[in-house]
Amino acid sequence: MNDYKTTVGIEVHCELKTNAKMFSNSLNNYGGVANVNINEIDFALPGTLPTINQYGVELGIKAALVLNCTINKKVVFDRKNYFYPDLPKGYQITQARNPIGVNGYVEIEVDGKKKKIGIHDIHLEEDTCKSTHADTKSYLDFNRNGVPLLEIVSEADMNSPEEAMAYLEKLKELLLYANISDCKMEEGSMRCDVNVSVSKTDKLGTRTETKNIGSISSVGRAITSEAARQIQELEQENEIHEETRRFDEKQERTILMRVKETGNDYRYFPEPDLPPYYIDETYIDEVRKTIDVMPDKRRSIYLEKGISLVNANKLIQNKPLSDFLLGLEDIDLVIASNLLLGDISSYLNKTEKKITETSLTQAKLREVVMLLKENKITNKVFKDILVDLMETDLGISEIIEKKGIKTISDESALLDVITKVIEANPESVKDYHEGKDRAIKYLMGQIMKETKGQANPALVNQLLQQELAK
Amino acid sequence: MNNLELSIKEIHSRLVNKEITPLDLVEECYEKIEAGNHLNSFITLNKSEAMEYAKELSSQEVETDNLLWGIPIAIKDNISTKDIRTTCASKMLENYIPIYDATVIEKIKKQKMIIIGKTNMDEFAMGSTSRTSYFGSPKNPVDPTKITGGSSGGSAACVAGGLVPLSLGSDTGGSIRQPASYTGIVGMKPTYGRVSRYGLIAFGSSLDQIGPMTRNVYENALLLNTLVGKDHRDLTSAEKEIEDFTRLIGQEVKGMKIAIPKYFVSDIVSPVIIEKLNHVVELLKANDNTVDYIDMKYLDQAVTLYQIIAMGEASSNLARFDGVKFGYRSESSSTVEEMYENTRGEGFGKEVKRRIMVGSYLLSGDNAKTYYDKALMIRNAMKKEFDKVFKEYDFILGPTTTTVAYRLDENLDDPTKSFMDDVLVIPVNMAGLPGMSIPMGKDQENMPIGLHIIGNRFEEAKMYQLAYDLENKLK
Repeated sequence: MNDYKTTVGIEVHCELKTNAKMFSNSLNNYGGVANVNINEIDFALPGTLPTINQYGVELGIKAALVLNCTINKKVVFDRKNYFYPDLPKGYQITQARNPIGVNGYVEIEVDGKKKKIGIHDIHLEEDTCKSTHADTKSYLDFNRNGVPLLEIVSEADMNSPEEAMAYLEKLKELLLYANISDCKMEEGSMRCDVNVSVSKTDKLGTRTETKNIGSISSVGRAITSEAARQIQELEQENEIHEETRRFDEKQERTILMRVKETGNDYRYFPEPDLPPYYIDETYIDEVRKTIDVMPDKRRSIYLEKGISLVNANKLIQNKPLSDFLLGLEDIDLVIASNLLLGDISSYLNKTEKKITETSLTQAKLREVVMLLKENKITNKVFKDILVDLMETDLGISEIIEKKGIKTISDESALLDVITKVIEANPESVKDYHEGKDRAIKYLMGQIMKETKGQANPALVNQLLQQELAK
Repeated sequence: MNNLELSIKEIHSRLVNKEITPLDLVEECYEKIEAGNHLNSFITLNKSEAMEYAKELSSQEVETDNLLWGIPIAIKDNISTKDIRTTCASKMLENYIPIYDATVIEKIKKQKMIIIGKTNMDEFAMGSTSRTSYFGSPKNPVDPTKITGGSSGGSAACVAGGLVPLSLGSDTGGSIRQPASYTGIVGMKPTYGRVSRYGLIAFGSSLDQIGPMTRNVYENALLLNTLVGKDHRDLTSAEKEIEDFTRLIGQEVKGMKIAIPKYFVSDIVSPVIIEKLNHVVELLKANDNTVDYIDMKYLDQAVTLYQIIAMGEASSNLARFDGVKFGYRSESSSTVEEMYENTRGEGFGKEVKRRIMVGSYLLSGDNAKTYYDKALMIRNAMKKEFDKVFKEYDFILGPTTTTVAYRLDENLDDPTKSFMDDVLVIPVNMAGLPGMSIPMGKDQENMPIGLHIIGNRFEEAKMYQLAYDLENKLK
């Protein structure tokens, strides 16, 4: 059974982060009270006309850029006609003939092997109403109707669940980092339909489509189970039919929804209400300039600066933290990333805040990292000042002063403590001179206790050795 | 009290001189309409609101620089009017009351004109006789046994019958010009993009255009002044500098070059109509204008193109009438599919269903390439053919229709006949050009005959100049 090759292609829909809907000026915001972000255009009242959200188009171009697509400079929309209660106009405005981007790719890495996954096209369209069903009634929420969507159609270039998952992770990372979409699968702002086929030969087998899978890991499991099902069918000499299926998480298998009608007829034609227009290189360049540093680039900077792969990936997965480090590449990123992923993350989790909602500035972080690096403060001090650092606008020295913390880094003050400890512990001093290692650790401990952990340990060690040698 | 028979200028001066008030005008409108023979030109009257507004205006100062201040107007029932029922002459929208005003309605209200009512038409503007209306046919004021033409039949009839001085129509394939010709009034379909379509219930989106229907050329230009302008809600509307369409009116038409396509005077046109056109040609020539009979390609393809493009677009535009959100819903259904079928089956009339089905077929699968895409190519070629002519000529002339208005009970059994009523006017919509019809005479039975003037894009002012000149000479 292992001689079957699995082939996977994925269609991803993601919602664009715009203020307004794609073809009307009501707000792009749903999830709250139903049917508040709606106007006569969303409701498809007779006589209304669509307009184009230019920022939506801009995000489409941005996506085309980060997904290495060729950009279609003619911006033009089509109507896709079908009847469904969640589709108020009876047609969806989409880009069937001239998608905004074509022939792109993303690079993935699975088990250390790099692979390019082709992107057939990406196109702009509008979302439908959200329907819910209760008893014998159905309800429509028009807030979602008209929300800008980007559909990303991959080539059938993936051959394993792992590759499919890596592709989705990568896509998510890119769209998130380019500020194109939130890509929250659990909230439906990113949705996947997966096409799977198996074959023993180079000729692709008949594919099935599994719709609306809830998470990236589910995509992997859905592919595994669907490929296994198809192989089993073929082994029993049954045919695979083109059909639409869904993945049942509990049963861990895909379930038939409907058999595909041959030649589903959407009667596409150019949207006559939206005249085509052209974009030029200058505009594309302007859009290019708005793109943040992409995750691959960030990852390579992190690794170059000595951050571990694990921590580098943790930072990438937490875009606000990674963004916070933009422009701080000259400081010690190992210390900085340890702070961000350690105490600062704990604080943020505990207080349920975003880093941008705190008083921590890049300048403050830069200063703290310098102080730690130069041993002018200890980790203990950092922990003590953390809350003030996050919640007040005070400078670091002001916080330290206010809290009465003595950052004992001036030698004379330290020397006083050291002398005192030496005088109080003649036994240990004797042990030290007899070559017992324990003794210096004990003395260090006593000094740190005296200084409430505020002394710089490296400096203490150096001064203690110096005093003991006297 | 016959104020409504006066010209707008005369009415205005009476208003300014406080001889009459807007309320007098509105009352006179409704008296005439209610006197019995209102020709079934209205589907909905806006009486109480219009009277109230007229009273309000009557207590205000007349805007002396606004000739249209306080003037009654009728609106075709496919233009969205807030709080006034807008039916498209269909059972589907029999009880539909819009929550918003079309852009042209906003403009008309800003001008302080008074909306008298919504006029009868072919259902969803699909037809050329106004006989597909769910509310019965309007009647031709010249001879009530005859059709008004369509689809803006009610808007033509109420102006021709003297019930209101002005009305708005819409024209997808002749729907302003052809009824104007049949009833003996002036109708202008402006350049595509000249007037915002926001609020015009779409039939063929790439062809539809709203335009003025009036008793004479000057008042037509005056009303167009109010309607035009770029609208951010309609991306197909054109950015143009504000102009006064009456500005060339009165200037003599001399030394102009006029083309008459041979197809427009071929044997498809009644001899009596050709005769009238010949007279116009003589008048023009007498004033040092050149008139050439020219060959133009594609004109005979126009009806076929129209059937493909307008019906294709219509099949999609009318998909929103599904019983889910507004309009008619059939109650006797147990599934959503059944509800769709019953709602659309019961809510739409025969002609509308026929066109939706033809349009859906034409866009289906490979047909889209065989028919729709090819039609767009020929449409483009036709456009270029017109551009070529306008490089050399100022105007293209011809008759508006091939015959005069026929009997209300004539040609009812042949759905393709009605398309032939528009054979001479459809090319203008295909090319997005402005076209207007003005009366050029009558036949032996006193039925009006229209002259069709086609201008280059955005040259409406020049068309009014010619139209006004001929209007005077033909008196």
